[in-house]
Amino acid sequence: MSTTAPVFSLEADSISKSFESGAVSIQVLRRFSVSVRPAELTLVAGPSGCGKSTLLSILSGLQAADEGRVRALGQELSGENSRTLERFRLKHTGFVFQGFNLFSALTALEQVELPLGYMGLSRADIRQRARQALDEVGIGHRGSMRPAQLSGGEKQRVAIARALAKRPQLLFADEPTSALDAVSGQTVIDLLRRIAVDHGTTVLCVSHDPRLIQRADRVLAMEDGVINRDWRPGDTGSRPGMHSDDHTGALPFQGDRR
Amino acid sequence: MVALARKMLLREWRRFLPAILTVCFAAMLLLVQAALVQGIFGSAAVYVTASAGNLWAGYPGTQSVSLGHPIGGDVATLMAMDPEVDAVDPLLFVDGYWRAKHGGDVEVYVSGVDLQGHGLVFHKLLTPALRQRLMEPGAVIVDRSDLDQLGAQVGSYGRIDGYPVHIVAAIAGLRALGGVNMITSWNTATGLDHTAGYTTYWVARIRDSGKAAQVAQRLNHHSDFGPYSVWTSSAFARRSQLYWLLDTGAGVAVLFLAAIVLLSGVVIASQALMAVVAGSAREFATLNALGVGVRALRWVVLELAAWVGGLGLLLGGGLSAGLLWLAHHNDVPVAMSPAVAVVCALSVMLLAVISGIAAMRALLRADPALLLR
Ligand SMILES: Nc1ncnc2c1ncn2[C@@H]1O[C@H](COP(=O)(O)OP(=O)(O)O)[C@@H](O)[C@H]1O
Ligand SMILES: [Mg+2]
Repeated sequence: MSTTAPVFSLEADSISKSFESGAVSIQVLRRFSVSVRPAELTLVAGPSGCGKSTLLSILSGLQAADEGRVRALGQELSGENSRTLERFRLKHTGFVFQGFNLFSALTALEQVELPLGYMGLSRADIRQRARQALDEVGIGHRGSMRPAQLSGGEKQRVAIARALAKRPQLLFADEPTSALDAVSGQTVIDLLRRIAVDHGTTVLCVSHDPRLIQRADRVLAMEDGVINRDWRPGDTGSRPGMHSDDHTGALPFQGDRR
Repeated sequence: MVALARKMLLREWRRFLPAILTVCFAAMLLLVQAALVQGIFGSAAVYVTASAGNLWAGYPGTQSVSLGHPIGGDVATLMAMDPEVDAVDPLLFVDGYWRAKHGGDVEVYVSGVDLQGHGLVFHKLLTPALRQRLMEPGAVIVDRSDLDQLGAQVGSYGRIDGYPVHIVAAIAGLRALGGVNMITSWNTATGLDHTAGYTTYWVARIRDSGKAAQVAQRLNHHSDFGPYSVWTSSAFARRSQLYWLLDTGAGVAVLFLAAIVLLSGVVIASQALMAVVAGSAREFATLNALGVGVRALRWVVLELAAWVGGLGLLLGGGLSAGLLWLAHHNDVPVAMSPAVAVVCALSVMLLAVISGIAAMRALLRADPALLLR
């Protein structure tokens, strides 16, 4: 474990991952490397099935790579057992998924408080953090509502608040807008970006939705387990990638049409 | 800390209803069965449990109260000599046949009690008024639910093995196992059986009921008084009940049924619980992604199971109490001892916990990596 403050908060070095599906083995990632910076929203964009979710689960410690190394916040994740990874995730990571995954029995406030209860915080601290997170995502007034009473966009904001209240240094979002209408989707992605900027959080979002590209600080276009292009939509010119693998050549990506 | 299990149960109780009802029915089956068994086989010891004595002396090796043999009168003297013993009464137990009006004989167990004694035997059933009525020669008291079987009413005359008797009262709580109990005076009973100078049991009361076992042991150490044995009343009652429970094969049947009830309860309740957990698999998986350990999630499932068990037990217990009350008021023999009730309750909770452990398998479906597909 390194103690020096890293420039990159997430690093994958030559990771490979394949899945056995019956007799055939699908290689999703092959000697894949990537580095992600804190305080910005990094979007991995690419068509369905290209390996985005697999990449996200490996970088977040949900799944192990077959080979290669993963460093998160300067800590080596590769080779750690599931208990250690759980502890790491509890302390440092938030997640937002396409399907919200809220307990239908709990109110918005309780959804946000629930994981905090496992972090060893005081009751007052939990309540205060949960309220603050709900306020920050703009639904502080809906705290007593249950999922059935909330719209899709509101539900996703509760899910974001649930992740945010943990005050994670790493926030992972897998297709966070795919179940939402255009307006709610914009709200959600803007919220994710603001969290990155305001809290210095490393936000890694993966999506096949090309509408998100212009909202991200940095976009990695992925296809068939390979990053084709790495650029910053806010900049006038496309900046070269900050990692030195050989996949950063400027191949066209379907989402890059505007 | 958000009480996830409790909130799920409270706000989505409908999802848990199948599991709760399963536990409820299992509890009812166990409790009602146990109450019937205790009620029916408890009557094998009604002579002991309805009497006030602490010690019973009878023929050695007597398996059940109704299977006694005569013992000598000097055993009473021996008992009375013990400093702890405060009163001794005889019980003469006579077996006979009641000739029913409409054909067929009914086996009757006649208990002859000494009306001039200390009133130990059938202390809980015989009021002074009833004792007064037993003074009449040939007077018998029966259980009111046995009148039909005897084809008689209060006031009816009849014969036991040719000896004329007269039903002077019908009471509750005197039911026998496999026959009809009758209480008579000692004199009437000796009229039925001419083993003069003998009795079937001597029942003794002692000053300090805590010393019953000790005194029984002391009294068993005199070999020069002919064949006899002394038991504490609780031991003799248990012995009688167990004899019938085992002799009739009912004990094995009861245990077998209880095992089936528990097993099917586990199967159904675990399925129902698993369905609930699987229905929230994505939410549990998200918690795990956020770093809540699998262990903590297992505890949530176990807590759910415990609540389901507790609620099912409460519901089943309440319904059983109602049913047993109804049964009791319709002269169906039922009884429930606290110990047996506790055993039933623990079995039901065990059922719930095992179901919960089985339902934890549904958490395998809560692998967070699956959320990403
Ligand atoms: N657990 C798994 N078992 C088998 N195949 C998998 C598994 N996870 C992902 N895959 C396969 O890996 C490929 C990439 O999947 P994924 O990372 O989910 O892509 P994306 O998120 O970009 O749509 C797909 O072909 C998918 O079917
Ligand atoms: Mg995906």
